[in-house]
Amino acid sequence: MKKKEAVCRLLLFFVIVCLLTGCWDRQEIEDKAYVIGLGLDRSKDEGKIKVTMLLANPEVGSMQGGGGSTEKPREIVSFDANDFIAAKATGNSVISRDISYELLKIIVVSEEYAKDKEFIRKFYDILKDKDIRLDCHLAISKEKASEYFINNQPKMETRPHKYFQFMINHGIENGFIPDSTLFRFFKTLERGTDFFLAMYTTAAMEKNPQIKSEDEYMAGQLDATGELDATQFIGSAVFRNGMMIDKLTGQETRNINILDDSTNIHDILVDIPDPFSDDQLQFAARVMKTESNKVEMDLKGQRPKIFITIPLKIEIISNPSMVNYTEKKNQQIVKKQIAAHIKTLNEKLLKKTQTKFKGVPYPLSMYARKYFGTIQEYKKFNWGKSYQKADIHVKVDVEIVDYGKRIKKPRTVGA
Amino acid sequence: MKQQPGKIGIREYLSIAILMVGSKVTEDTPTALFQKAQNAAWMIPIITAAFTFIPLFLLIKTMSLYQNKNLFSVIQKLLGKYLGFFVCLLIFIINVFSISFDSRTYTTIIRTFYFNRTPIVIIYAILMGVCAYGAKKGIQHIGSVAYLIIYYAVLLLYLAFVLCTQDSSIQSLFPIWGPGKLELLKQSSLNLSLFSEFFLFALIIPSIASYKDFRKGTWIALVYISIQLSVGIIIFICLFDASLKGIGYPFHTAIRFISIGTFFPNIEILFFVIWLMAALIRFTAFLYINALMFGQLFKIKNFEFLIPALATIYLLIGSIPESPYDLSLQLKPILRSVIGPTFLVVSITLWLVALLKGEFKHEKKRGSM
Repeated sequence: MKKKEAVCRLLLFFVIVCLLTGCWDRQEIEDKAYVIGLGLDRSKDEGKIKVTMLLANPEVGSMQGGGGSTEKPREIVSFDANDFIAAKATGNSVISRDISYELLKIIVVSEEYAKDKEFIRKFYDILKDKDIRLDCHLAISKEKASEYFINNQPKMETRPHKYFQFMINHGIENGFIPDSTLFRFFKTLERGTDFFLAMYTTAAMEKNPQIKSEDEYMAGQLDATGELDATQFIGSAVFRNGMMIDKLTGQETRNINILDDSTNIHDILVDIPDPFSDDQLQFAARVMKTESNKVEMDLKGQRPKIFITIPLKIEIISNPSMVNYTEKKNQQIVKKQIAAHIKTLNEKLLKKTQTKFKGVPYPLSMYARKYFGTIQEYKKFNWGKSYQKADIHVKVDVEIVDYGKRIKKPRTVGA
Repeated sequence: MKQQPGKIGIREYLSIAILMVGSKVTEDTPTALFQKAQNAAWMIPIITAAFTFIPLFLLIKTMSLYQNKNLFSVIQKLLGKYLGFFVCLLIFIINVFSISFDSRTYTTIIRTFYFNRTPIVIIYAILMGVCAYGAKKGIQHIGSVAYLIIYYAVLLLYLAFVLCTQDSSIQSLFPIWGPGKLELLKQSSLNLSLFSEFFLFALIIPSIASYKDFRKGTWIALVYISIQLSVGIIIFICLFDASLKGIGYPFHTAIRFISIGTFFPNIEILFFVIWLMAALIRFTAFLYINALMFGQLFKIKNFEFLIPALATIYLLIGSIPESPYDLSLQLKPILRSVIGPTFLVVSITLWLVALLKGEFKHEKKRGSM
């Protein structure tokens, strides 16, 4: 009797094991083609889009000790389609494996298509798709997305998923590009009070670019030469209600990132005009933002007043005018200079958003909410309108944590 | 403490209660509340819990007169044979729909987020099959399993919440009163169904080791669950802000979004497994209580044998709605608006009848003797 029972139980186990395969959702890694980057362009056909898929080859670089695969690390395919979800099926007429968006890292939309009214209608499909994760990033390319992926040929990180992951993460840490995840995109869109910044990128360098200060470039303007990949990630595209309206340079994007507490900006390196020199020298500084901004608002009255306090920790790295920072007086001068410099940069930028964009490109409206008791009152206040005529004051709290390693001037010969 | 055979202690009872009611935070309840009260939705569970306190207190008071009897026998005793039968039947029918719709919701979640291609019937059948197997084992087994996984379930839930805070902003909670104070009170009173499961626990009183355990467990569970629900909704509001109104199942959307650093992205499977176990316990307990009701109603002693048949019926009822939209936008709101008032009326009536019949006086006399 006991034997029979044991056999029955064993059989039951075998039956249960069958369930482990996941029934209809059984997936074979061998059988999957993972799309890492998705490009969207306007199609020549009315109402259609051009979809570009960047597929990663999982065999390359995954084996330790460099396995024997000689296959290319990626495959790119572009075609016209109605939307990018059904395109998965169409793509299978070219790609041998089952196409999946599960590991999608970046969606690149060409600037031309992002300025189209049609764009947001097609783009909303992302929320319907079950594969796409909302931590995927949105980027705007200067050229066509299909050309962008082809011209983007990383020399060191040939595996596309690693390349985009590193490029985006370091760009966000430096503050050159905004943290433009789809999650933030749709959140901003649904909130309907602020604008959204998407990262700006290109793989086509401008002809005869100007030489500018370290962060004033747009993507494609940096004249980098050597043996390298032409792709540049710097600057951002401004979206109003899901439509691109303008661009911001790397410097402006950085300032917005400093103003925006919801992004994860580490420490950034900047050049600041040196107050001790007459011939426009600049010293380098490391700016660290460890605390949140303080925002206070006075929303009663005709013109709302907004006071923003930015606490910054600064480390002075270079000293081109050879000033002696051990003197208290010099310390005060440099402190004032940094505060004034950052203050004017920010106020100028916010003025630009008020007059040119007519909206704020980061969630500043969130701070206004606590001054209202109910949603009705808040809606009546109409943030979008009120912001344009608001009086904005920026104050920078500078704390200099380090004045550099060297104190003394080098001795000049013959003096 | 020695355990009596076939009975559950306070910790098992608490685990079942938390898994049954507390898991509401992981399905579509936050969204439903957000649509009603926008960013003040997190207050509703707390206000509703305060509202629920009154009928629940009256019910517990009435039940204390008849220790070791369950809700249905008390109803039949107090309201008479015929009226009592109809009231019990009503409660049973409401619960049939409640368990069917809820299990369908869970099936939809599993299918939408994890098993896209598997037919819904198969997932549903496996879910109900497992629950029926568990329910047939009896309340003591359910209690032990619930106690086994309760710590994992609660810990992982809070881990998910903590990870969610990385991308959220507390300002989303403002304007603090949302649609207005009056509206909040109104919505809270309309959402009494949030804690209606507590009334069902009065059915398993005879299986709980002592009446004191039941009373104490119920209050602890009510306070804890209202807080957990409230915290969950706060987290979701801070994370999703206004887009929460369009997200059907915020918990599952959130766990697909969060990651532990850059090295561990896509960690939803960790939460999914435990969530699934919690869901199984929830329906197992639900199924058991339903079978108990049915047995009590039609005087069937070995009601455990009914469980597979009942599970099949629930599966069939749950399969009727064509799309999840019908379910969460049309059918569930109707059910929710019925459940709350029903339990309110039933418990107050029971207490009134007991009072009029002078049962409380008898009790006192008995106590003094």
